[in-house]
Amino acid sequence: MSVVSRRSLLAASAATLATPGLTRAQSVKPKVTVISQWSAGSDGLAITTLGKRFEAEGGVWEHNPVPGFTTDMMNKLRAQIIAGDPPAASQLKGPEIAAWSKIGAVVDLDQQVSEAGYEAVVPAELVRLSKPYGHWIALPIQAYRINTLFISKKAADRVGVTSLPATWAEFNAIAEKMKAAGITPVANGGLKWDDGMKWEIALCGINPDAYRKAVMELDDKTLKGADVLAAFRQLRKLADWSDPGAAGQHYSTFMARYMKGDMGMLLMGGWAQGVFKNAGFRFTDYLIGPAPQDDGKIAFDLNSDEFIFWQKPQPEYLAGQKLLAKIVMAKDFGPMYSQITGSLPVRTDTDLTPDGFSDGQREAAKAMAEAVRNNRVVLSLAHNMAQPNQITAAMIDVLTEFVHDNRISPEDGQKRLAAAVDNVRS
Amino acid sequence: MSERVTLSRVAIHATLIILAAFFLVPLGVVALNSVRGGEEIARAGVIGLPHELRWSNFSRTWSSYCIAQHCDGIQPYFWNSVRMVIPATIISTLLGALNGYSLSLWRFRGDTVVFGIMTLGVFLPEQMRLVPWVIVLRDLGLFNTISGLVLIHTVQGISFTTLFCRNYYVSIPPDLLKAARIDGAGFFRIFWRIVLPLSPPILIVTVIWQFTGIWNEYLYGVTFSAGEQQPVTAALIALSARVSEAPQYGEQSAAVLLAAAPTLLVYLLGGRYFLRGLTAGAVK
Amino acid sequence: MNWRARWGRILPHLVIWPPIVVSCGYVLLFSAWTVWVSFTRSTLLPEYSWAGWRNYSTMLATRNWQIAYTNLFIYGTCFLVFTMAMGLLLAVLIDQRIRAENIYRAIFLYPLAVSFVVTGTVWGWLLNPTFGIQKLMHDAGWASFRFEWLIDRDMAIYTIVIAGVWQASGFAMALLLAGLRSVDGDLMKAAQIDGAGPVRTYLRVVFPTIGPIFIAVLVMLLQFAIKTYDLVVALTQEGPGLASTLPTVVVYDFMFQRGELGEGSAAAVMLLGSLAFVLVPYGLYRHWQRRKAEAHV
Repeated sequence: MSVVSRRSLLAASAATLATPGLTRAQSVKPKVTVISQWSAGSDGLAITTLGKRFEAEGGVWEHNPVPGFTTDMMNKLRAQIIAGDPPAASQLKGPEIAAWSKIGAVVDLDQQVSEAGYEAVVPAELVRLSKPYGHWIALPIQAYRINTLFISKKAADRVGVTSLPATWAEFNAIAEKMKAAGITPVANGGLKWDDGMKWEIALCGINPDAYRKAVMELDDKTLKGADVLAAFRQLRKLADWSDPGAAGQHYSTFMARYMKGDMGMLLMGGWAQGVFKNAGFRFTDYLIGPAPQDDGKIAFDLNSDEFIFWQKPQPEYLAGQKLLAKIVMAKDFGPMYSQITGSLPVRTDTDLTPDGFSDGQREAAKAMAEAVRNNRVVLSLAHNMAQPNQITAAMIDVLTEFVHDNRISPEDGQKRLAAAVDNVRS
Repeated sequence: MSERVTLSRVAIHATLIILAAFFLVPLGVVALNSVRGGEEIARAGVIGLPHELRWSNFSRTWSSYCIAQHCDGIQPYFWNSVRMVIPATIISTLLGALNGYSLSLWRFRGDTVVFGIMTLGVFLPEQMRLVPWVIVLRDLGLFNTISGLVLIHTVQGISFTTLFCRNYYVSIPPDLLKAARIDGAGFFRIFWRIVLPLSPPILIVTVIWQFTGIWNEYLYGVTFSAGEQQPVTAALIALSARVSEAPQYGEQSAAVLLAAAPTLLVYLLGGRYFLRGLTAGAVK
Repeated sequence: MNWRARWGRILPHLVIWPPIVVSCGYVLLFSAWTVWVSFTRSTLLPEYSWAGWRNYSTMLATRNWQIAYTNLFIYGTCFLVFTMAMGLLLAVLIDQRIRAENIYRAIFLYPLAVSFVVTGTVWGWLLNPTFGIQKLMHDAGWASFRFEWLIDRDMAIYTIVIAGVWQASGFAMALLLAGLRSVDGDLMKAAQIDGAGPVRTYLRVVFPTIGPIFIAVLVMLLQFAIKTYDLVVALTQEGPGLASTLPTVVVYDFMFQRGELGEGSAAAVMLLGSLAFVLVPYGLYRHWQRRKAEAHV
C-alpha cells in the first residue's frame, strides 16, 4: 500500500472545491457518512440531533457509531480506509488528525473556513490542530476543560470549606483536614487516563509554561526540571489520598460515596457535571470551579473532538461535506450540541446565557475565553490532545505505574518519564 | 454392573454445594442487577439486593433502548447475530466433519503436517488477524456485510471443528471401512453411510462450541459490520461505560442476560450431549 | 476407465482439497503476513519498508512486554494447573453417581456460555475490595477478612487466574468426566478385588487410562490462556498500573491504540514463538507415540 502524497492530494482537492464543477454538485442531494464512537448517552443524542439538523437542511445522514473504546472506532476507520471506502466525515482529535491525514486523502476546507470567518473565533490551539499542514482539514465540534475541581458539598461542610482552593498548597491543606475527618480526600478513579489526568492537572496548576514545554514540546530540560518533579510529588500525594481500591475503577464508581460526603474532591473534566446529573445528583451537591493554579492566573487544559473530512469522489459526498461544514461552523451549532453533551462551544463568541447551559459551563467558557486571550491554553495529555498516541501511551504507562506503585519515588518517576519520552521520540 | 468407588457421601455433597455456589455467584450478581434500577445501583453499589424489582430493564433493553439513533433496543442486533452465527456454525461444522474424515480415514502423504497446520490456527490471537482479514474482505468485496463475517468465522472455525472431528473419527474401527471398501463403496458413500451416522455426538460438540464462540465474539463483529448490521455483542458494549457517561448497570445486566440466553440455553439443553460427544472422541 | 469411474476418482479431491487448502492457507498466510509486517516500519497502516529487528528490540525493551511476558508464564501455568485440578475434582465428584447430576453439570458448564467480557466485568465487581466480597464479609461481621488481590501489584494477575479457572473448569470437567466414564469397568473391579482403596484405584487404574485426555484438555486450555484478552481488559484494565497485562493486550495496544502495527506484530510473533516451547515437545511426543504404535503392529 503506497503512502499517499499529502501535498498532491490537498492540491487536487483544493482544485476540486474551486472549480465550477461544484455548481453541478450542488444540484445533487448532499450525503454524508459519519463514523464516531458516540453510540449512546448524551454523546449519542447530540450527534443524532446533528443528524436531524443535517437532514432538515436537505441532506442524507448516515451515522455509523462504533461502540467501545476510541481504539475500536479508529480500527473501523482504518479498516474502511484500507478497504478504499473512508467515511465522508469521522471523529478524530488532537495530533491524530495530522497522523491520519497522512494515510488517507482529506478534503481542504480553507475556502469555506475563510468565507465563514471561522478561524478568528476558534482558540489558536484548536486551529493549530485542525490545520496540521497549513490547510484546514478538520473542524472542532466541542471543547472540554480538563482542569476542573469538584468538591462534595457534604464533605466540604464537614471540614468547614466554603470555596475552592486557589493553589495546590491550599488544596493539600484541605485534603489533610479531610483525611483527619475520615473523608477520603481524592475521589478519582484509577484508570490509566485518570492517572495521567491527575498528573497533568498538577503540572498545569504548578506552571502552565512548564507544561507546554514538557508535555507539548517534549523539551528534555523541562522534563528533567523542577516543575515536573513538583508535579510528581503532587501526584504522589493525590495517589496516597485516593481510595486504595481505586485501581482499575472508573471514577463514577465512587459517585455515591462522593455525594454522601465520604469522599471529598474530584479532579475531572467538565463532563463530570453531566455524569452527576444523569445519576440524579443536583448542582447544589457539589462546588465546581477551576483546579488549583499556583500563580493565580487562569490556565485552561483543553480537550476537544473534531470531525475530519475524507476525500470521496462522488459529488453527493462533496456537497454533504460542504453542508456539514457549514452547520458545524455556524454560530448556533455550539448551543445545539453543547447543551446536550455539557461541553463548551468551540466558538469564543458564543453566548452562553440561555437556560440550556449550566453555570459550570458558563464559568468554564469564560475561563477558556480568558485563557485564549492570555495564551494560557494547554492541550491535554491524557486525552490524546498533546501528543500522538504512541507518545501519549508511553507517558501514561509511566504515570499509571507511578500512581499504583508507591515504591517509585517522584525522582524515579521523573527519570522514567524522561526515559520513556526519549525512547519514543523518533 | 460395575461398582463405583464411594467416598463419604456427605463430603461429596458438601463439596459440590460449595463449588456450585462459587460457580453460581457471578450469575446471581448479574441476575440481581438486571432487576435493579440504574440509580439505585449507582447509589448502593454493584453488588446488592434490589430494593424494588425493575422488570422494565428487560423490556427497555430489548425493544426501546436507544443505540445510535435507533431506539429499538438490542433486538435488531440480536437477530443479526442469529443470521451470522447459524450459517457460520453449520458450514464450519460440516467442513470440519469432512476435513476430519479425510484426514483421519483417508490417509495421504503429509496429512499429519496438514492437520498440524490447521490445529495451529486455534492458537492465533485474533488481534493479529484483524488487518489481514480487512485486506481479504476488501479484495473479495465482502467488507461490511454479514456474509463477510460468516466467512471469517467459518474459516476460523474450521481449525476447531477439524480438530474435534478428526480426533473423534480416528476411533472408528478401521475394519468397518475396510469392509465397506471391499464392497466397492467410495469416498462419499462411506462418509454418508458409515461416518455421518456415527457423528451426531461430535457434531453436537462442534455446534455448541462454534455457536458459543461466534455468538460471543466482539472484535470482528464490530470492525466488519456497520450500523444496524452489527451483532449483539456490539450492542452490549454500547450500553457500557464511556469516559463522559456513567454506566447503566441495571440495563446492562438485563442486556447481558438477554444476549447470553441463546448460549446458556444451548449449554443447558445440549450439556448432556456435549458430554456424550466427548466420550467417544476424547479417548485418543 | 469409464467416465463414471473417473468422475468418482476426481470428485472426492474436488471436495476435500478446497476446505483444506483454504484453512491451511489462511493459517500460513496470516502468520507469514504478521511476520513480514513485524520487519517493516508499519505504523497506522501496513507499509513495506524494511525495519530490520528494530520492532523486536523496541518491544523487548518496553516494560509492557516484559511484564506481560512474565505474566504469561505465571498466568499460563496457574491457569492450566488449577483449571485441570478443578476440572478433575468436579469430574470425580460428579462421577460418584449423585442424584442431582444433571443440575450440577449444568451449573459447572454454563460459564462456558458466557462471554469473556461479562466474566471479567462481574469478577471485577466481586473481587473489588471496596464493594465486592471483602465488603460483603465486613458487612456480615467478619471485619478482618481481606481480599485485596485486585489492587495488589503482585497479586493482580492471580485475579485473572480466578476468573479464567471459573470460566474454563467446566470444559475440563466435561472432557475428564467423559474419560472417567469410559474407564473399563472390569479393570476397576479387578482393582477392588485386589483390595485397593478408592484413592489407589483412581491413581492406579483411572488416571493412567485417561492420560491422553489430559493432553487434549491441556491443548484447549493452552489456547484459552494464550488468547486471554477480554478478561484482562474487563477485569483489571491491565492494572494496577501495568501489573496484570498479558501479551495479547500488549499486541492490541501497540498495533491499534498506538498505531504501531510493526511493533505490535513483533509482539504477536514473539508470543506465538513462545508457543513453540510447548508445541514442539508435544509434537515430538506424538511422533514418538506414533512410532511406538507402528512398531507394535
